[in-house]
Amino acid sequence: MIRLDGVSYAYPDAVRPVLENVSLDIGRGAIAGILGASGAGKTTLAKIMAGFIPAVDGGELSGTVSVDGQGMGDLPLAEAVSRVGLVIQNPFNQISGARYTVREEIAFGLENFGVARPEMQGRVDEVAELLNLGPLLDRSPYELSGGQQQLVAIASMIVLRTPVLVMDEPTSQLDPAGTRMVFDVLSTLRGTGITVVIFEHKLELLHQHADALYVLADRSIVAAGDPTDILADARLAEWHIGSTRYTRAARAAQDRGLLAGLQHLPVSLEQAVAVFADDGGAR
Amino acid sequence: MPHSTNGADSRRARHIALVILGALIVVATYLYLVVWRPTEIAHTSTGRASLIAIGGYVIGAVLLAVGSIHRLPTTTVALIPVAIALNIVVGQIVSVIGLPVYLDSIGTVLVSVLAGPAAGVVTGILTNVIWGLTLSPIALPFAVVQVVIGIFAGTAARWGMFRRVYTAPLAGLVTGVVAAMVSAPIAAFVFGGATGGGAGAIVGAFQAMGQSLLGATTLQGLLSDPVDKAITFTVVALLLIALPARFLQRFPFARAHRVFGRTGPKAAQTALAREG
Amino acid sequence: MSSTVYVDRGSPVHRLNPMTKLVAMLCVIVIVFALPVWWVSGLVLAVAIIPVAVISRCGRTLSRISATILLPILVVLFVVQGLTFPGGKTALVSWGVFTVTSEGLHFALGIGLRLVCLVLASVLLVLTTHPGDLMSALTARGMSPKFGYIISSTLQLIPAFRDRANAILLAQQARGLSVKGSPLRRIKIMMPLLGPLILGMFTDVEDRSTAMEARGFGSTARRTSLVPVPDSSVQRVSRWVMPAVSLAVIVVPFATGAL
Repeated sequence: MIRLDGVSYAYPDAVRPVLENVSLDIGRGAIAGILGASGAGKTTLAKIMAGFIPAVDGGELSGTVSVDGQGMGDLPLAEAVSRVGLVIQNPFNQISGARYTVREEIAFGLENFGVARPEMQGRVDEVAELLNLGPLLDRSPYELSGGQQQLVAIASMIVLRTPVLVMDEPTSQLDPAGTRMVFDVLSTLRGTGITVVIFEHKLELLHQHADALYVLADRSIVAAGDPTDILADARLAEWHIGSTRYTRAARAAQDRGLLAGLQHLPVSLEQAVAVFADDGGAR
Repeated sequence: MPHSTNGADSRRARHIALVILGALIVVATYLYLVVWRPTEIAHTSTGRASLIAIGGYVIGAVLLAVGSIHRLPTTTVALIPVAIALNIVVGQIVSVIGLPVYLDSIGTVLVSVLAGPAAGVVTGILTNVIWGLTLSPIALPFAVVQVVIGIFAGTAARWGMFRRVYTAPLAGLVTGVVAAMVSAPIAAFVFGGATGGGAGAIVGAFQAMGQSLLGATTLQGLLSDPVDKAITFTVVALLLIALPARFLQRFPFARAHRVFGRTGPKAAQTALAREG
Repeated sequence: MSSTVYVDRGSPVHRLNPMTKLVAMLCVIVIVFALPVWWVSGLVLAVAIIPVAVISRCGRTLSRISATILLPILVVLFVVQGLTFPGGKTALVSWGVFTVTSEGLHFALGIGLRLVCLVLASVLLVLTTHPGDLMSALTARGMSPKFGYIISSTLQLIPAFRDRANAILLAQQARGLSVKGSPLRRIKIMMPLLGPLILGMFTDVEDRSTAMEARGFGSTARRTSLVPVPDSSVQRVSRWVMPAVSLAVIVVPFATGAL
């Protein structure tokens, strides 16, 4: 659905590129997680996918970005944003403030694109139902919790019906409850056909929700594949990404001479339980 | 770029025409009120002079804003609300603390320097509109003063006067003199000199010394505005030094006119630092 | 959470189309400034502004806000112009070097009543009209949506901004920085307050513009609006009648030589 081929990018006046030869291909309806240490170029990659680079920031972009087989390269920003939605870190800054209720806030993008009122009402109601925002619709977006504000930001994107939704660390400024709300939305979106690309640090939640994981390091995609395989990859430490607490616990146990025969370290609660079960059985 | 068709060209021409017309109306209003001096003022009432002062300045300011706003990219439009909030909140704090200055145009000057005079004009006018909506409608007739500040600050930035901390207050002084002259007819004809306790007393003192009402409000303005604007411009110049350089690259005006005089290597470092 | 003075009393005045109220306010202001006699302002006050204020059920709020704005101005106006009006000849009271002239008081009365009309009419508009509705109405009539965005967005930002400024101010005071002392000292105290405030503002701007663009703010499509603005044919007609009547009121006295 969204595909990058040999994408390289350097900011204006920069000595060396931020990204070099990035290629990935994410299928329709998939939920893809992208991991990367801070400074690895995650925000840059997110903005390239959403068409903000080079349209807003300038600089040298080579390679191709395509959505549903159509190149994004020459599209003006206003067109690009109707194909790829973007949710950013800070929920407060995403409230347009142009309107006074959550209902109007969600409709803001539709108003900008000139969607007729009856259709607008229908779409807002539909999204509100999908994300369970009904009780919030008549409140001011400024009165909501961070997690609720981030849900409104996501709803404001989904309502535009972009085939792809890019989320750039949407939970990094949220408390655990807010984080859970955002990840619950991922479960809701599964089956709607929307392709989601999420840049995240929270490995265990990614393991639960993502269909595939990509690792961004050394200016490029260095690993891609099934979440379980990626999270068990020993090189994650080199890429400054860390590992899940289950993997860390298993590794610490191995350091102390336990679980010596274990080939695949557990990355999730289920796998950890399975390790214990196996070990118990062996005894 | 969305603006490439013929229709866009004619729209652009219309916006420039609006800006020119607005500027002409403001200048004509000032000349009529000050140079031509309607005779009725000396006698009983300032009715028609005040109508012309409000009407001419407000219509002129609105035309300038309408002509200017279309040229602003979204980055600038997103900056303006924050700048207006800054004008208003700092202006209020200053008056609560009881400083003898206004400091209610820091945001306007900042926007003008980063994004050019057109952005400054819009920030200035809308500051007074919002002041009128939230605090007091007596700010509205003075919107044109903020227009002057926006135009002068933007032009000073273009000439590189914000590259050094000591040239900024000079530009501020000049801006303040013009602001005082432009606002004097409003203070005189619309408010009878009574724009505030301290200012009103000074106007009274000048009148008692034999000045006309307009002369008295002009002198009162010249006592406060140049100092206020010199301080405002200095504050902005100091703030700009503290500002992360990577913001420059988001504002084509600041880049094109090298408002800060910084060049190549430093910009490259900043561009590097911004990944992530 | 908004910084406006709008109070929702659900009166017939509140339910009017914002354009109708805006046109009415402009007509009132033009009439009192174009007909420079004190009793015209008094008449407009009595037959237009006060009745509308009563119907709107905002009378008390209106008088409170307007008094705060007007009292200082009116006091200064009457004192200063009563004593020092350049055209003053007829002395009413003399007290040492101070002389109150009737021309000065008359001049102050004219200006004062006009200012009362100006302030009451505009505060009444703001009290009875939600700024969002006013912006929608103006945008629907061709005003650039950028104006509407800037105004609505600022109105919502100001409280957050003020909280942030107050927090910083409190922190400065807690560190023992007094807000008293010479002006220079007080400006020195302001600088550490402004720094964080403005730097915070800048880091937010990039985010805000990204979020706006992502929602098609840069689109050239003709804007639509989710919430319709109420209107009626009576109001549509009155928006033409009011300016016409005002024009007549202004022009007729000149034409007949009454003024």
